[in-house]
Amino acid sequence: MKLVFRTMLITAAAAIAISGAYAQSAAIAKRKDILKGVGDATKPVAAMLKGEAPFDNAKAQKALATYASAAKELKGLFPADSKTGGDTAALPKIWDEKAKFDAIFDKLAADATAAAGAIKDEASLKANFGKVLGNCKACHDDYRAKKS
Amino acid sequence: MNAPVEKPSASAAGARTLAWDGPTRLFKWSLVLLVFDGWLSNTVGGAYPAWHKWNGYLALTLILFRVLWGFVGGSTARFTNFIALPGRAFAYLRATLAGRPQKYLGHNPLGGWMVMALLGLVGLQAVSGLFAADEDRLVIDGPFVKFVSDATVSFAAKWHHRIFDAIEILVLLHVAANLFATFVKREPLIQGMATGYKPVEPYADEARARPGSWAAAAVCLAIAAAVVFGGILAAGGRL
Ligand code: HEC
Ligand code: HEM
Repeated sequence: MKLVFRTMLITAAAAIAISGAYAQSAAIAKRKDILKGVGDATKPVAAMLKGEAPFDNAKAQKALATYASAAKELKGLFPADSKTGGDTAALPKIWDEKAKFDAIFDKLAADATAAAGAIKDEASLKANFGKVLGNCKACHDDYRAKKS
Repeated sequence: MNAPVEKPSASAAGARTLAWDGPTRLFKWSLVLLVFDGWLSNTVGGAYPAWHKWNGYLALTLILFRVLWGFVGGSTARFTNFIALPGRAFAYLRATLAGRPQKYLGHNPLGGWMVMALLGLVGLQAVSGLFAADEDRLVIDGPFVKFVSDATVSFAAKWHHRIFDAIEILVLLHVAANLFATFVKREPLIQGMATGYKPVEPYADEARARPGSWAAAAVCLAIAAAVVFGGILAAGGRL
């Protein structure tokens, strides 16, 4: 009987530990997946901005909509227990300044929504899209580890 | 209070002599602005990649100009007049530490090496930028990125960051040395680089600089710009 209890206890403890670790790495995997999607949505627009692809408002609008929804979702994907425990480039500084960090997501969403209304042709794309992308760099410079 | 009496004759105390010609000074202060703007355009200009890139092309053009000017410019700007053998640089360092350095109209033997290091690093900074891009390859990339491998781009970006760290350190040293000389040793080096003139002194290199001509400077600048912009376009890169 005692042995059974002990085994159950150990199993339960292990299960809690594993699911905890899973939750952390799940948040990490989820946010990386979303950010990768943000990057993929940006690629065709980046080509337009560099003049390598013709203007296509559908792609620009899709990127902006992706930013707005991703920004809202991402705010919840940096829980305190996801500093480590997976392959993450998120810097620990995020959790010292969580409000400042989240504010950049808010600004990204607001700028993306504003730009969506303003972009109608190539000229308005070039005039308005850069400002939105400035938020990516503003956050990455401070809160994301550089590979190189 | 008596106003200081200005002596009309060129007494040894007030007399000044040419140290740096106009093109050299214009180059120098332009480079200061461009290096600062290179930092600024990256820090607050993330939304405007063209700002950073054009600033970098201009910096590269100026560095190339300075290399040419080092052969045909004013006497104090010529490499042959300020690149000292290491032995002389060390002797100058020893004399400085002992508190009795010789005075130079142009660069002193240590300062000359600082100038070469700064020119070299800013040049490398600009060249590495031509091959660098942001990590996600989305916002900013140099004109040669599309011709090289992804690993080369990462390598260039890594060095573009590191070289700038080195530039920051050298700039700090360079500025500190000049502030020290100007305000502690009372040798007006900063005023000299601003106005072109320094007090008459028994300088170790020469008594008076022979200025380079503005026409020669214009030719050097035109060649430098043609190499940078022509080179990028001829290679098929987009500015
Ligand atoms: C408020 C902060 C913030 C903003 C704004 C932001 N990012 Fe990021 N981004 C991060 C962090 C942190 C990571 C690293 C995530 C990790 O590894 O856990 C990241 C990672 C990425 C990645 C790599 C994902 C992967 O595959 O691992 C891409 C691509 C990316 N961001 C693109 C963008 C783009 C494009 C924008 C702008 C539209 C943007 N990000 C805006 C914080 C931000
Ligand atoms: C003297 C000229 C230049 C200076 C002083 C300069 C300075 C800088 C600085 C300070 C950074 C940021 C590094 C960091 O975050 O640690 C940077 C990034 C960058 N610069 Fe330059 N740069 C110069 C020229 C160029 C040129 C000519 C190009 C290309 C046309 C270029 C392209 C880039 C790119 C692609 C980045 C990467 C941004 C990133 O990693 O997100 N730079 N530069």
